[in-house]
Amino acid sequence: MAAANPVANPAQIRALIASHKRWDAIFALVGLAALMIGVLTFTALFVDMALDGFGRLSWDFFTNYPSRRPGQAGILSAWVGSTLVMFTTAFFAVPLGVAAGVYLEEYASKNWVTDIIEINITNLAGVPSIVYGLLALGLFVYQFGLGQSILAAGLTLALLILPVVIVATREAIRSIPQVIREGSYALGATQWQTVRYHILPYSSAGILTGIIIGMARAIGETAPIITIGALTFIAFLPPSPVQSEPPFLSFDWLMSPFTVMPIQMFNWTSRPEAAFHANAAAAGFVLVVMTLAMNGLAIWLRYRLRRKIKW
Amino acid sequence: MMSALETHVSELLATKAEARKLSFYYGDFRALKNITMPVHERKVTALIGPSGCGKSTFLRCFNRMHDLYPGNRYEGEIILQPDNANLLARDVDPIEVRMRIGMVFQKPNPFPKSVFENVAYGLRVRGESSRRRIEEKVEQALQDAALWEEVKNRLHQPAYNLSGGQQQRLCIARALATDPELLLFDEPTSALDPIATASIEELMHDLKERVTILIVTHNMQQAARVSDFTAYMYLGDLIEFGITDELFIKPKMKQTEDYITGRFG
Amino acid sequence: MAMTEHASKQYDLDLGSIRSRVLAMGGLVESQIRRAIDALTTGNLVLTQEVIEADHRVNAMEVELDGDCSQLIVRRQPAAGDLRMIFAIMKTVTDLERIGDEAQKIARMAKNIHERGGAQAPPVVEVRHAAEAAISMLRRTLDCFARLDCDGAAEVIRDDAGIDTEFRSILRQLITYMMEDPRTISTALEIVWIAKAIERIGDHAKNMAEYVIYIVKGTDVRHTKVAP
Repeated sequence: MAAANPVANPAQIRALIASHKRWDAIFALVGLAALMIGVLTFTALFVDMALDGFGRLSWDFFTNYPSRRPGQAGILSAWVGSTLVMFTTAFFAVPLGVAAGVYLEEYASKNWVTDIIEINITNLAGVPSIVYGLLALGLFVYQFGLGQSILAAGLTLALLILPVVIVATREAIRSIPQVIREGSYALGATQWQTVRYHILPYSSAGILTGIIIGMARAIGETAPIITIGALTFIAFLPPSPVQSEPPFLSFDWLMSPFTVMPIQMFNWTSRPEAAFHANAAAAGFVLVVMTLAMNGLAIWLRYRLRRKIKW
Repeated sequence: MMSALETHVSELLATKAEARKLSFYYGDFRALKNITMPVHERKVTALIGPSGCGKSTFLRCFNRMHDLYPGNRYEGEIILQPDNANLLARDVDPIEVRMRIGMVFQKPNPFPKSVFENVAYGLRVRGESSRRRIEEKVEQALQDAALWEEVKNRLHQPAYNLSGGQQQRLCIARALATDPELLLFDEPTSALDPIATASIEELMHDLKERVTILIVTHNMQQAARVSDFTAYMYLGDLIEFGITDELFIKPKMKQTEDYITGRFG
Repeated sequence: MAMTEHASKQYDLDLGSIRSRVLAMGGLVESQIRRAIDALTTGNLVLTQEVIEADHRVNAMEVELDGDCSQLIVRRQPAAGDLRMIFAIMKTVTDLERIGDEAQKIARMAKNIHERGGAQAPPVVEVRHAAEAAISMLRRTLDCFARLDCDGAAEVIRDDAGIDTEFRSILRQLITYMMEDPRTISTALEIVWIAKAIERIGDHAKNMAEYVIYIVKGTDVRHTKVAP
C-alpha cells in the first residue's frame, strides 16, 4: 500500500451507508409488490370461486352423480374417478420413475448416451400435456386396445409425471453426500446393498415430495384425459376393487369408463345455466383443496423424513 | 536409501501390505509415480505431504476406492499378506478387498441410522443374520473403539446425536466390527477438536496391537505422535520412507527436511 | 547444510536471533576467560573483580536463551534440522554458562594469588599457553557453530586431547614446585584449580563441537572414541 489509509470521516461514511441502504429499501418494496401480485391474484380467484361454489358444498354434492338438474348434480363419479386414476398413475409412475432415477444416478456410467437421456428427460417434463394425450390415444387406447379406461388414463398421466418423478429422484439422490456412499462401499457393500440400505431410505423424503408434486399436477390435468376420450357424463361407479366373494380383489375397475374432477368442471362451465357454474366453482374449490392437501402432505412428509436425517 | 538400523528393523517386522511400483492415473493425469513401500504388520504407518501430493490417492488404492469412479487406472501391485494377493489384480473383486480392509474417513460419516445399525451394517452386508452374533460383535466393536461406555444406553438413538469425536469413534467401531486386517485412516481428526483428536490418537495406539494401520494426516505432529513409520510424498512421488523418529529428527532427503521444518512453499 | 527459508518469516527471525545471541554469549564468555587470564598474569585486582561480577551477565543470557528456546519449541514445534538446532543450542548454552563459571573461578583464584602477592614461582606461562589453546578451541567451536562446519568441529574435538596433556604437564610441574618449596603450596593449589578450569573449558568446547556435528549430521558423536 503506497498511501496511508485516508482518515475516516464518520459523517461521510454514514451518508454513504444511508444512500446504499436506500437501494435496499427500494428493492424490498419492488420485491414485495411482485410477490403480492401473484399471491393476491390467486387469493382473489380462490375466494371468488369459494364464494360462488360454497353454497353447493354439501354431503349430497359428494355422493350424487351428475344430473341434468343443477341442484341434484354431484361429483361422486368425478372424485372416485380422479382417485382411481391417481392410484393407477402412482402405481406405474413411482416404481418406473424411482428405478430410472436410481439407475441414472447410481448405476449408469457417465457418458454421452446418459447425457442425451438426461437432456431428454428434462425436456419431456416440458412437453405440453396434450401431446401426451395424443400419444396415449394412439398407443394405449387403440394400439393396446385399452379403450377409454381408467388404466389408459392412469398410464397416460404416469407418462406425464414420469419425468418429474425421475428428476425429483435424481435430485434427492444427488443431495446424499458422497462420503455416505463411500462409507457403505468401504465396508464391502455392493451397489444394490448401498442403494437398498442407504440411497433409497435417505432420498425417500425428496422422492416422495417429487411424487406428490407430480401427482398434484396430474390430478388437475384435463387435456390428455379429454384427448383419450374420457366421458363427461357418468352416472355410475367403476366396479368395486374389493369383492365380497373370493378372490376378493377385482381389477375390473381398471377397464371401466370414468370421468375426473377437471372434466366434470369443464363440462359444467360449458353449460349455459348459472346454477351449473356454481357447481363448477364448488368442484373447483374441492379440486384446489385436494391439490393443496397433497402439497401439504408433501411438506409434512419431507419435514418428518428429513428430521431423521442429518449429514 | 535405508540406514542400517532401518534395514534391520524392516527385516524383523512382518510386512502386512506392500506397494510395488504402484502408479495411479486419474484419466491421463499420473497421480502416483512408481511407489514402492511396505506397510508393516501391527504398526502405524503415516503418509504425510502437502495437499495434492497423492497421499490420500495412495491410501484409497488400498481398498480400491478409485474403482467407484470412471477413468481411474492402476499400474503395479499392492500385495496383501499373508496370502500374497495382489489387491489391484483385475480378477480381484474390489468388494472382496474392502471386506478385508476397513476405512475411516476425513469427516465422520455415520449413516443416518441408529448407533447400533451403523456398527451392524458391515455384518449385515456380509449376510450375518443371527441377532445374537450381531449384538455380540457390535458390543465388541464399540468396546474396541472405546465408545461402549458412552453409548451403551443409547444404542438405538440416531448416530448423529453423538459428538463429532464420538461419531468418528463410531465410524472406527463400524470398520472394526468386521475384523479388518488393515485399517485405513484418511485424515481422521481433521474435523475434530484437540480433545477428540487425542482420544482418536490414543485409540489408534491401542488398536495397533491387533490391526495394521495406515493413516494419512495433514498434521505432522500427529504423524510424529501416532506412527511408527512415516512416508513423505510430494507430487505423486514417495520421497522418503523411514522410522518416524528418524524421519522427524534426521530426514535423509532435503525435500523431507524442508517440508517437516516448514520451509515448504 | 544450506538452509532455505521457512514459510514463516517470523520463524526465521526468531531462530536467527537465538543463534546470533548464542554467538554473542560465546563472545562474552571468551572475553571473560581472556580477562581472567590477563588478570592472573598481570595481577590486576580490579580486572579480577570485573570478571567475577560480569558472570551474572553470562547467567542472564543463559536464562534468556533457554526461555526463548522453549518458547520457540512451543510455538513452532521444530522438526528435523530445526529441532536438532534448538536442542543443540540449549545444550550449548549450558556449556557456555559453565565456561563462564570456570572463567569466574579463574578470576577468583587469580585474586587470591595476587592478594597474597605471589605469582612468580609457579608455571604461569604454561597456564597462559593452555588458556590460549582453550580460548582458541572455544572460538573455533563458535565459528563452526556459526558456519555449521563439521570438519572444523571434528578438529576441535581432536584438539581437546592437547589441553588434557598440557593440564597433566602443568600438574607435574606444580608438584615439582611444591616439593622444592612448600611455601608455594597454597599458590600452587590455586594454580591447579585454574589449570583444571582451563581443562574443563576445553571439555565444554569439545561438547559444543559435538553438538555442531549433531546439528549438521544428526549423529551423536558424544562418548565415542572415533571423531568423524
